[in-house]
Amino acid sequence: MIVLAQKKVLLIFLVAKVFRIIFYIIFLFFLVKGSQTIAGYNSTQTIFFFLSFMVVDTTAQFFFREVYRFRPLIVSGDFDLILTKPMNSLFRVLMGGADVIDLITLPPLYLATYYVGGLLNPTLLGTLSYLLLLFNGLLLATALHIAVISLGIITLEIDNTIMIYRDISAMGKFPVDIYKEPLKGFLTFLVPVAVMMTFPAKAFLGLLGFSGIIISFSLAAIFMFISLKFWNYALKQYTSASS
Amino acid sequence: MNKYIQVFKISFAQEFAYRLNFIMWRVRNVTQILVVFFLWDTIFSVQGRELFGYTRDKIITYVFGLIFVKAFVLSAKAQDVAGDIARGDIINYLLKPLNYFKYWLTRDISSKVLNLIFASIEFSILYLILKPPFYFQENLLTILLFLVSIGIAMYIFFLILFIVSAIPFWAPEMGWGGHFLVTVILVEFLSGSLFPLDILPVSLQNILNFTPFPYLVFFPIQVYLGKITGLLLFKGIAISLVWIVFLWLIMNKIWEKGLKAYQAYGR
Repeated sequence: MIVLAQKKVLLIFLVAKVFRIIFYIIFLFFLVKGSQTIAGYNSTQTIFFFLSFMVVDTTAQFFFREVYRFRPLIVSGDFDLILTKPMNSLFRVLMGGADVIDLITLPPLYLATYYVGGLLNPTLLGTLSYLLLLFNGLLLATALHIAVISLGIITLEIDNTIMIYRDISAMGKFPVDIYKEPLKGFLTFLVPVAVMMTFPAKAFLGLLGFSGIIISFSLAAIFMFISLKFWNYALKQYTSASS
Repeated sequence: MNKYIQVFKISFAQEFAYRLNFIMWRVRNVTQILVVFFLWDTIFSVQGRELFGYTRDKIITYVFGLIFVKAFVLSAKAQDVAGDIARGDIINYLLKPLNYFKYWLTRDISSKVLNLIFASIEFSILYLILKPPFYFQENLLTILLFLVSIGIAMYIFFLILFIVSAIPFWAPEMGWGGHFLVTVILVEFLSGSLFPLDILPVSLQNILNFTPFPYLVFFPIQVYLGKITGLLLFKGIAISLVWIVFLWLIMNKIWEKGLKAYQAYGR
């Protein structure tokens, strides 16, 4: 609501985000037009990979914007006030401040993804796999954000960690096939950017086998389990700054 | 002069007070370079390929050149000016016997020196790991003109930062928004720090050449690669000097009006 009250601020950030998406699509279009393919993908497919990345990344940012405001809560001790309230503290610090600007950019982004996806003549199975793996990607993003705030409770360092996560996940703008090993393995299994961003688009194009889908869901389950355990551990380590 | 040397030293030392922040900033820069490197490495993986007027060694040199050029040009402290104005802290500096403009220019230079040291280390490490084909410019005059274009680019970016930082004189809440739009989004895409601008059609490049952004990163690297030579090179340097004069005049005008309108909220 505070953001809505500052209409000029809202407008400027909205314009900047729209420019970013448009510029990137222009870049990808002319890049692939000149080079014919990137890692074997044509321009429509490359743009679809980028839009799939944007869907997962922007949706995660929409839900988890509150993570960027977590450090002051820890440093000031105001996190105590959240812990004492009858609301799940993890839910509050993770999703307590959805980003209104992303709420405005998300529908056109979904529409653009739908339109570009339509140009690729998907099968029903491909579309269903895509939607399931997008949801799976959001689960992984959730797990990674939980891990970041858990680490923040222990180390008081969140801002840089979350920006490192953003930079690594930005590698998912392009199909991870462009990266060489061991970076590709790192992006698939350690910080599973490939699973979050590339696998859904590959499933859509019919390029991801059944084993890839199983690996995706398994990784999401493992990461969620570990991150929730880590959150519980971090809470036990929390020493209030104020009391 | 002595007071600005002291500002330089203090600013340099201050960077090490927030060591983790600085290291993370450099790690982020390296990550961004890696994405661009692998993208172009894949596109040019076909032996002997030439695309957009680049060979493999020239495009990889462009990517690696970004490490240095961005450290020189785009690492700047002057975007903190917006915060000074929004919080009212600028009043403290205006009362001191110190030219506010020169103060921030000195702080910028100290930040660039530190970033350059680390950029050299990162360049060496990445060069040893990735073993990229690299184009070494051997013409001394070209190298000199490359350094001149870098110096001009630094000053252009400094002036852009000061102009954008003046927004809080009228709208204190819009300081970061203005920077996000101009120095993060517009500079990233239009300066050539994400991709060489000559992948775009000539018509789009001609439009971009009416802005100062290509002269920040793209133009200096093109000079180094020898892709802009002779009359075109001198024309480019002349245009970038004109941009300095133009931006300087705009900055002075805006700051004059801004300081008159300013009410120093928060002080």
